[in-house]
Amino acid sequence: MEKVVLKPEILGYFNFLPITNTLLVSWIVIMVLTIISFIVASKVKKVPDKLQNIFELVIDFGYSLVSDLAGPQKAKVFFPIVVTFFFFILFANLLGLLPGFATITFKHEPLFRSMNSDLNMTLALALTSAFLTHAFALRYLGVADYLKKWFTLNPIFLFVGLLELIGEFTKIVSLSFRLFGNIFAGEVVLSTVAAIFAFIIPLPFYLLEIIVGFVQAAVFMMLTLVFMVLLSEKHEVDHN
Amino acid sequence: MEILNQFGVQPVLLAAQVVNFLILLFILNKLLYKPILRVLDERKKRIEDSLKNAEEIEKRLNEISEREAEMVLRSAKEGEKIIKEATDYAAQLIEDSRKEYERLINKGMIDARRVGQMEKDMIMQQAKSGLGEIISLALEKVTGKILSQKDQGQIIEKTIKEFKT
Repeated sequence: MEKVVLKPEILGYFNFLPITNTLLVSWIVIMVLTIISFIVASKVKKVPDKLQNIFELVIDFGYSLVSDLAGPQKAKVFFPIVVTFFFFILFANLLGLLPGFATITFKHEPLFRSMNSDLNMTLALALTSAFLTHAFALRYLGVADYLKKWFTLNPIFLFVGLLELIGEFTKIVSLSFRLFGNIFAGEVVLSTVAAIFAFIIPLPFYLLEIIVGFVQAAVFMMLTLVFMVLLSEKHEVDHN
Repeated sequence: MEILNQFGVQPVLLAAQVVNFLILLFILNKLLYKPILRVLDERKKRIEDSLKNAEEIEKRLNEISEREAEMVLRSAKEGEKIIKEATDYAAQLIEDSRKEYERLINKGMIDARRVGQMEKDMIMQQAKSGLGEIISLALEKVTGKILSQKDQGQIIEKTIKEFKT
């Protein structure tokens, strides 16, 4: 059986930047998404074809979701970020499930590895999500109201604020580790099952992983959206 | 941060992935979201417009059918009026022509009577002159002599008078 490796394999160095196989996959995902959007955008019509229909469905659903939660004004800002998280994670997860994906080797290391089975990638996404969330909170609330969320003169609320401040860090940890854990575990399960018996038996697990890949993308998107909406609203204490 | 080391977390890789995300955000926003949201918006607007138009058309149709009914009613009334006028006129015309015809018949009868009288007179005149001649001839034969003009006239007068009675 294969050894379970937490670290991504480094394929080479570009100056000081280590090119890991997950980073390579990340670039491939960007390329795939760019090509697809090129195809869709090049023939956007009022009467949509199949491909445009799919993206219209997702984007329309996403947009109405965001504008329901955040209101039409903020939706215009939140929507692209939130949906990009969704597409990026979804396509990375599905790409990682392609048969034979992890079997290609380069200098005795696997050339490809599912993007989100590397904590670097998920942590980066979680950090981006958190950074943008706080940036929007600052923008919509102003510095004074933003700081009031965490620090007040009321000792009870000061304590609550401190807890929430810690909660902000846990959000990053939970976002990154949830995604990483799910996808990494999926990879391990798939390789383990394939090592036991490579025919037919892995199929239900593949189906499971497709669902997990979709669900995790949706969860990341929804949580980012909810955090953004919650944090860019005024604290309820202010109203009392 | 031993745990992060175990997972192979490197700040450079984090930065690379953040950059990746931002690039993807930029590309998708430009190529995918904006065109599709624009198309969706256009379609929505178009549907709204179409619905509004449909409503307008229905309203207009109702108006037209109302006006149509009104017009039919009015033209029916007008038609009735015209027919009544025409009937009256026709009755008048018949009456007039009947009068005219009666007048013509009367006149014709009077004329005919006059002509008859005239013809009778003329025949009488001819008969008179013809009779005179016959009488004078007969007298000549009877008397054997030619009567003088004066006698002749007297006898003819007398005979005609007798003849008349």
